[in-house]
Amino acid sequence: MLAIVSLCARIAVIRPRFAVGYLIVAIVAILAILAPLIAPYSPTEADSTNFLQSPGGSHLFGTDNVGMDIFSRAIYAPRIDLTIAILGTVLSALLGGSIGALVGYYSSGRGIRVWVSFAVMRAADVLQAFPVFVFAIALVASLGQSIQTVVLAIAFVNAPIYLRLMRSQVLSLRSMRYVEASTVNGLSDFQTITRHVIPNAMAPVLAQLSINVGWGILLTAALSFIGAGVRAPTPEWGSMIAMGFQNVVTGQWWPSMFPGAMLAITVFGFSLVGASIEVLADPAKRRQLLNDARQRPAGRAAAASKRQSLEQV
Amino acid sequence: MMRVLGYLAKRLVFVIPQLLGIVLVSFLLVKSIPGDPAVLMLGPTATPDAVASLRESLGLEQPLYIQFFIYVKNILHGDLGTSWQTTRPVLEDLVQRFPATLELVTLSLLLAVVVGVTLGVFAAKQPNGWVARLADLYGLSAGALPDFWFALVLIFVFYTLLGWAPAPLGRIDMIVIPPEPITGAYTIDALLAGDLDAFGSALAHLVLPVLALGLLNAGPILKMTQATVEKMLDSDFSRYEVLCGVPHNLVVRHALRNALPSIVTIISVLYGYLIGGAVLVEIVFSWGGAGQYAVQGVLNSDIYPVLGFVLFSAIFSLMVYIVVDLIYVLLDPRISN
Repeated sequence: MLAIVSLCARIAVIRPRFAVGYLIVAIVAILAILAPLIAPYSPTEADSTNFLQSPGGSHLFGTDNVGMDIFSRAIYAPRIDLTIAILGTVLSALLGGSIGALVGYYSSGRGIRVWVSFAVMRAADVLQAFPVFVFAIALVASLGQSIQTVVLAIAFVNAPIYLRLMRSQVLSLRSMRYVEASTVNGLSDFQTITRHVIPNAMAPVLAQLSINVGWGILLTAALSFIGAGVRAPTPEWGSMIAMGFQNVVTGQWWPSMFPGAMLAITVFGFSLVGASIEVLADPAKRRQLLNDARQRPAGRAAAASKRQSLEQV
Repeated sequence: MMRVLGYLAKRLVFVIPQLLGIVLVSFLLVKSIPGDPAVLMLGPTATPDAVASLRESLGLEQPLYIQFFIYVKNILHGDLGTSWQTTRPVLEDLVQRFPATLELVTLSLLLAVVVGVTLGVFAAKQPNGWVARLADLYGLSAGALPDFWFALVLIFVFYTLLGWAPAPLGRIDMIVIPPEPITGAYTIDALLAGDLDAFGSALAHLVLPVLALGLLNAGPILKMTQATVEKMLDSDFSRYEVLCGVPHNLVVRHALRNALPSIVTIISVLYGYLIGGAVLVEIVFSWGGAGQYAVQGVLNSDIYPVLGFVLFSAIFSLMVYIVVDLIYVLLDPRISN
């Protein structure tokens, strides 16, 4: 246990960006969970005598044009944004990933299955030819505006990514000896796929998941920004930016800048976590990282402590 | 030449099923909208008579597959429906607005290419140098910034605080008369008309939105350039050149030349993406382009502009991909042989 903690600490030293990523995600998650305890004001109640107050004083981030406290709203927002993004991303991975696994597993066989998998891939081509954002708002428009629809839109727009990813993984795994062995041992296709193929194909999918949660947050905020996502009094970063839009042009920057900065930092954090998973999931890159972690920082830390003790003397 | 034409013909044959697929999906999107499409098309002020006659002409009483044929037939005749907001045919509206989007997106893409390829090549020259680290950080943060918010930051700094940029209200100053539309792109039209005032004004209005879109979308180009040039510099032909004493800059130039096909691919993907992806920046700057038109349509349940835009941009992406396939032939002698 201790060894794992110290190894993590060493990795954090040689790849500070990974540590920063996990730190950002952890802080945002904690803020979202503890928001009712931390927030000094209600996130949806307006104090109409106190509108557009500049940051500082009793309102840390100031107030917006109807007098709601921006800090309280900004830390309540990840509750909505993260939930939508995570649900949408997981749904798209389940949808795209399972279809992709089947398509990859059966595309080298014979008969109708080959045709079906060919048709599925062409359908994915067509879906990806649509402009992502307009496709998402068209979905929201046709299914009706609600949080569930935004989740569905994220799932739908991202599903082709997982479809392709899973398919290419499964295609290369399919001819592995252990997959053949499991078939020879009498496991059904379903058992082979769920027990032996999918677990070995998961690594890049996990990295993609983290990156896509970031995109999901961006898409949720973008939809809300134009008024097609989460509606105004609910605290959400995109709609907060939209509310402060006119004020920014006239010089009151705080209603838009704080939520936007939090949004950007959060997405940045998720990208870093995705990058770290990409390294940790790739055996060759992981070996190199672990070797670096075992050798270099130990030397550096020792040198630093030596220097410190010399200075003290 | 004949071979290239044959290749092009083969490529065009594959476009037809893709186009049909796109039309089918957009048709299903209309069908999945709750409510009477005729009412949606005519807007809230329609009379029952008008609704009834439109239902007739849309074939809404017919089975689904016949409705689809009518839909395809209308598209082939250039009839994309009517917008009840502008009360004009969607095709006319789009032809008027698409050049505005195209001008913005093309210039942004140029900026992204310049930034991405330059940084990428310098980062690839020294994989562990400070440029490479900077490029890494740039790629990550550019992908994380929401473009509509970044555009707002630019407006706050360069318009509100410094007063350098014009007000973010459209493509040209209110007091300047827009040039006679020839291509639809204000900068080109102004130059063709020899109107330098209009040209300057249009250019000034382009600066901030192009910066917002160009800087944020340089990330993928940067990553692709860095990765491929690095790979090329690590390959046998580059090592051979180094051994022969070829100057370093020339070696890098040859590596870049060989990395071009993959860079062109990512640029083409980005071009198609930006047509729809520029929507938010268009809204922030009241650009009046095709994307903004589509979003207005969605928000006011005016569905035909949305479908028209989706069709337009999907077709545009397909066209870009075809052009890129031709560029491959020029770039890679192995394909044309």
